[in-house]
Amino acid sequence: MATDDHYVIIGNGPSGNRAGEILQANDPEARITIISDESVPLYYKHKLTSFIAGYVKEEDLMVETGLDPDRIRMRLGQCVERIDPENSRIFLRHMEKVRYTRLIIAAGGRPGLPQSMSAFSDHLSFLSCFRDVITQKEPVNKAEKFFVIGGDLVGFRFVKMLAAMEKEVCMTLCPEAFWPFELKPDMTAAVCRNLEPLGIEVLANDQAASVAAQNGAYNVTTANGEARQADMVFAFPGLVPNISFAAGQGIDMDHGILVDEYLRTNIDNIYACGSCAQIYNPKLKTYATSVGWPNAVIQGETAALNLLGENRVIEPAPRKFFELEGVRVRTSWWEDVDDISERKPVNRDTHS
Amino acid sequence: MKKNDLYRKTVKLSQREDKTYSARSLKQIIYSSDARDFGQVAKSIPCQAACPAATNIPGYIRCIYEKRYGRAYELNRICNILPGVLGRICSRPCEQACRHGSPDEGDSVAICHLKRACADLKSPMHRIIEGFYAPSGKSVAVVGSGPAGLAAAHELTLLGHRVSLYESEKKPGGMLMYGIPEFRLPRDILMLEIENILRLGVTLKTGTKIGKDISLESLSKDHDAVVVTAGCTAPRSLGIEGENLEQVYNGLDFMKAVNAGEKPFVGNKVLVIGGGFTAVDCARSSVRLGASDVRITMRKTVEYMRVDEHEKHEADFEGIRTQGLVQPKRIVSENGKVTGMELYHTKMEYMDRPPWRTTVPIENSEFFLPADSVIAALGQTPSPANVSQTLDGSDICESGCAMEGLFAAGDFVTGSSDVITAIAGGRRCAHSVDGFLTGKKRKETVVRLEPHESTDRSRSFDFIPLVGMNTLDLDERMKSATAEVESGFTEEQAEEEAKRCYLCNLKYEIDPLSCIYCSACIDVAPKDCIKMIAKVEINEDGTFGEYRETRNWNEAVSIAIDNERCIRCGQCVKVCPMDCISVTKTELIELDIEE
Repeated sequence: MATDDHYVIIGNGPSGNRAGEILQANDPEARITIISDESVPLYYKHKLTSFIAGYVKEEDLMVETGLDPDRIRMRLGQCVERIDPENSRIFLRHMEKVRYTRLIIAAGGRPGLPQSMSAFSDHLSFLSCFRDVITQKEPVNKAEKFFVIGGDLVGFRFVKMLAAMEKEVCMTLCPEAFWPFELKPDMTAAVCRNLEPLGIEVLANDQAASVAAQNGAYNVTTANGEARQADMVFAFPGLVPNISFAAGQGIDMDHGILVDEYLRTNIDNIYACGSCAQIYNPKLKTYATSVGWPNAVIQGETAALNLLGENRVIEPAPRKFFELEGVRVRTSWWEDVDDISERKPVNRDTHS
Repeated sequence: MKKNDLYRKTVKLSQREDKTYSARSLKQIIYSSDARDFGQVAKSIPCQAACPAATNIPGYIRCIYEKRYGRAYELNRICNILPGVLGRICSRPCEQACRHGSPDEGDSVAICHLKRACADLKSPMHRIIEGFYAPSGKSVAVVGSGPAGLAAAHELTLLGHRVSLYESEKKPGGMLMYGIPEFRLPRDILMLEIENILRLGVTLKTGTKIGKDISLESLSKDHDAVVVTAGCTAPRSLGIEGENLEQVYNGLDFMKAVNAGEKPFVGNKVLVIGGGFTAVDCARSSVRLGASDVRITMRKTVEYMRVDEHEKHEADFEGIRTQGLVQPKRIVSENGKVTGMELYHTKMEYMDRPPWRTTVPIENSEFFLPADSVIAALGQTPSPANVSQTLDGSDICESGCAMEGLFAAGDFVTGSSDVITAIAGGRRCAHSVDGFLTGKKRKETVVRLEPHESTDRSRSFDFIPLVGMNTLDLDERMKSATAEVESGFTEEQAEEEAKRCYLCNLKYEIDPLSCIYCSACIDVAPKDCIKMIAKVEINEDGTFGEYRETRNWNEAVSIAIDNERCIRCGQCVKVCPMDCISVTKTELIELDIEE
């Protein structure tokens, strides 16, 4: 028998898609809608740089999911403007209102550009989503000289790709501003050791101080007084939770949406998961944001099951290791929260 | 008059080409005290309703668009005697209420920046307008020269009373002078606007502390009335181990020292406790004193910080970190020097009264943050006993305290609030004092309804993005600790930003007797603002309630414009074949009550 339930998921990253799969499998009668400002279905973010260089085709970027298009309505390219929990409604930017009976917020992250760089943000390019990549693919291939403000692991992949494309690359590396963890001196040294033989100039312990446009190119100066010219300036500042649409509506949020260990927000029928959520960790006795695709998937699963009436406590995914230029870095969403969460709430697609 | 004649006439008057015109308006100005008109103003002009002083915001923004900066400044001064000051440091409740910030509408209008623009851009020789009453022969003492005291002194002087303003510090201004850093509020701007009040004949007596140098009782004997606006000066204490260490400051004392040109020791790592303007001011001042790692900590989440987004942005821009959901447990020291702070993590919990959400410390969640100094900016409370032992705090009221002839206003009554609330309180209190001294009510608030032929807005204005404030680069901020960070709008920027205002003071109405129900206006309305109405509810207070909409022609009693949704684009006026849509300018004004 058909029900009046309408489950809405905001976000079509790994977390939102997994939640959709679970809801579809466990409640055959309910209407399910996924709303996302991304204009394409789930894709591998870590392959975006290879796609720019032409090593990967567009179809290889896409992730095969178990979502049944007859069961789940995908509303892509649609931006959520505001949530109205009191009336169980979502306002979309194009003025449509969508009613829900239960809601999962899995909106992921957005580039976490430090405010100190906001003065020249108009001159910066980003590679944080599929749309960015489509926009930047041709200009990147045409440009010769690049300045990269390094701040996360995608930045390393990008500069190596540029080196392989025989582009001239200069990169800043500020250990304190790295995301999702602060670089230790041995990591910084290892990064320099491994990137410089590729022809990449690394300005370690330095940050961009100004970027000025001039005759179609950019003049960059750094905090240490270095000056470089570039055809394009890219910033890789990591991500911060994408939650502005939920602000001021009675949903508890700090740097991310606050949820308990069952991924429940303070509003009865609203759950949050993935990198937009700050999850209470009973072991750490505080709220933490999460890193990595596996964590996002398991959180999407848990949120969906709890929405359906289960009572599952979120468990951390198996620990994930990054190979950072010869240094093995362990990240798990249970760790280092006090060091990093308040400045750059962590999230990273680490699928590999 | 034919529509074309009207069009020509108004063009000649205004010499602008980007306006649209209605053909039917009120024929004369009406002053209304009807509850329905007050209700309409309150609902349709949310910025003014949110302003504690009820500033005529759409009015002054329109003047800025017309480059009448002096008039815009004077419109502000009617309710707020410090527009140049508030244009810099107001807490901006109006912007939170602004309809341009609603979903689908974009960003709120930068009302505060526009307030500053009219102060900055008016002629230096601008004529201040004051409406004096004849001298009453009465004298009033105002205790405290902060915003509430200044507002009360100004209003009482206009009402014809002789005012003496007592200030315990060396300079007037209270928190404005001693609590707010110069990089947010240049002192020449503050003194200029204070001077505009003093030169009306207010006698300023600085360095005189009531309750110490002169007793309240003796002041009462020497004056016909006394207004206490002594503010909040007693700092809330942390109540934890280590709070008396040398490198632990309370926020107000810290800011006083900084504003006096002193350089209190902060070290490299500073922890600021609190989530209000003072906490952010202390943090930003610490950066200017050389601290490299400044962190603001608060019990609730960052969302609950009692500062506006601009201040959060500026703090973030200057590298200050914020950490919510933590609570101090003790300040740790070695050999008498602060080494850091132990804190609890906290959790949000429901409480059964406003503000509904609270935090509780989580057991066994302690952690340590290193620090060279700690600044506790937890706010202050009033201390009536410092003014007089006879005051116990329970009988302090704007409209009169237990002691005859004694009144109070501002933070001294309300507890820590904000400057615009204090100014509004000071002004209200002045009218209570005036009533006490004269036995009369001399002014009443009415709604002024004026026919308005122009719709005043172009649809293209709706697509203008928010104009950002010009600010100093980080380097320049650090070169001079007192350099003002925000540098104001240019004329062009002010005009662009002024265009964004929806002019909610213009009331659009359809004349049901002329309307032929063609629904053309509904078809062109870009928002859901024109409705078929079956019934209009009337609230208990006599104001209009909700419109009951219908889609059934048989039920429709009229087509009505919902002024809470209307964006004053004028499309409906242009398209109406019957010229039955009128525009009326609505303003809250104070009228003299005739004897």
